[in-house]
Amino acid sequence: GKSLTACSEPSSLAPQPGSVGDRGRRPSPLCEPPPRSNQKTQHCLALLVAGEMSSAAYLDTDENLEALISRIEQKSRKIETLLKQSKPVEALKTALEGSPLKTRDERCKSANWIVVHRAMMAIRDIDGMFNSLDTEYYDILMKYLYRGLSTGDRPTCDQCLKIHEKLTERAGLGCILRSLADTVNTVFVVDKSIVAYLQLVWLVAS
Amino acid sequence: DGSIPSGLDFHVGHLLTVIAFCPNTTEVHIYKFFTDKWEKLHVLAKHDQIVSGIDWSRSSNKIVTVSHDRNSYVWTQEGQDWVPTLVILKLNRAALCVHWSPKENKFAVGSGAKSVSICYYEQENNWWISKVIRKKHESSVTSVAWHPNNIHLATTSTDGKCRVFSTIIKGVDTRGPQAGASVDWKFGEQIAQLDLSPTWAFGVRWSPSGKTLAYAGHSSMIYFVDDVEGSPAAQNLALRDLPLRDILFVSEKMAIGVGFDCNPLIFAADETGLWSFVRYLDERKVTPSTSKASQLSEALGKLYGQSRQGSSSDTVEPSKPRGGAHENCITCIVPLRKGSESIVKRFSTSGLDGKIVVWDLENHITIPK
Repeated sequence: GKSLTACSEPSSLAPQPGSVGDRGRRPSPLCEPPPRSNQKTQHCLALLVAGEMSSAAYLDTDENLEALISRIEQKSRKIETLLKQSKPVEALKTALEGSPLKTRDERCKSANWIVVHRAMMAIRDIDGMFNSLDTEYYDILMKYLYRGLSTGDRPTCDQCLKIHEKLTERAGLGCILRSLADTVNTVFVVDKSIVAYLQLVWLVAS
Repeated sequence: DGSIPSGLDFHVGHLLTVIAFCPNTTEVHIYKFFTDKWEKLHVLAKHDQIVSGIDWSRSSNKIVTVSHDRNSYVWTQEGQDWVPTLVILKLNRAALCVHWSPKENKFAVGSGAKSVSICYYEQENNWWISKVIRKKHESSVTSVAWHPNNIHLATTSTDGKCRVFSTIIKGVDTRGPQAGASVDWKFGEQIAQLDLSPTWAFGVRWSPSGKTLAYAGHSSMIYFVDDVEGSPAAQNLALRDLPLRDILFVSEKMAIGVGFDCNPLIFAADETGLWSFVRYLDERKVTPSTSKASQLSEALGKLYGQSRQGSSSDTVEPSKPRGGAHENCITCIVPLRKGSESIVKRFSTSGLDGKIVVWDLENHITIPK
């Protein structure tokens, strides 16, 4: 039978780029880049196609994780440069792009969080930020806001709350729903903020 | 009011003047509209637990009900009474949803046993037999929808997937050109699986021609899929507000979604087949997001120990949907058709607020065919 699987973050209020049958739209920069191809990953790919390796295991091969980590390190350097040039919104966009959402590896997710956190904390003009942030970034930003809230760190939470208010106004409750409900594209491995999530669910429900 | 929502579990409209619904009990009530008010005509009381699904076949005038008691009854009208016939579904969990097939010779029941029962009438023994599709769903089946060809059945499940099966039954379904010339699917074979939602899926429906399939994901998403049996092409629409629970195709190019916003959403496809959200149907309602955003922030602020400057009230009031026909989640949407019209101009919705609302599209929007 036919099978259809989602591949990346849905963008708010716009058709999904990159889905099967996509009408020739450019792939979103938020799409996770495919695993780097070499002999070992070719072998893993063969196992994946034959059904002898799960897609989660395929994404988390050592080769792929090393590639992800080095990509995050590259991002980090680019972000420092952008921040020195007083371009915090560009820095945040760079941080959010190519986030390792599908991998189950804690190091990758934490590494990316550190980079996103750095850019997020550098933003002073939040309204201004939203004027130049495309809607396709909304869902992933919301997920990182909850990761930030779960840290309990006062300055981080203050910043996340400020951004959260504006983001909810722009993106709507649906954006919050998607960050709560999506167990496939995650910014945590083990959900350390389960308390924050439960609090939010209570708030939304009331 | 405000404690436990005593909602309407399910309702079906028939002939525009008669309605059947379950008032969150073990019974089904049938009301008829006489001149200026609704009067209770019949009470169908046979189930031991809450009735979770009702469907009324228009031509053969049969009502099928399913319940958490794992049973199903087919009700036939004899004179003034409705007479039930038990259908053994062979379930060990609750039945959750039911729909008659387009030809009304079969009905499909989704259950919490991760299975779908297809029931058909066997003339010789004068009873309904059920054939079960097992081991294909990973969790409860939340909704079922029949393709116009009377054979393909789409299901949604709390495992997040939407699946299409063949329900071809020897002796019941005649093999014809509509069954598909090249591929001969057997009963229970999975034709397609759509894994688009990371969370629960609800409310699957086919468009009138069967070319498009739509279903709702609980992460505030709606999915429109073209040509499911051939080469599926999906459009994932992210919703601004709360998730949907049920969908209705009003025409080939327009659909209505209902759910936790308590206000029906209109979706339309353009000439290229690209779907988008048009607007909310009920204009009296205030859109929830903008008013909730600042309330949320205040409440979050309190949770994280932040003192907000400029907040006037100490308590956070739960935000109620203001105005509008429904006051709580709409769980069900049913078309009201006159004769054999292909476009649905009127439909009714029911929800957890215990209300049934009839909506008329005729003078309010142009429906693209």
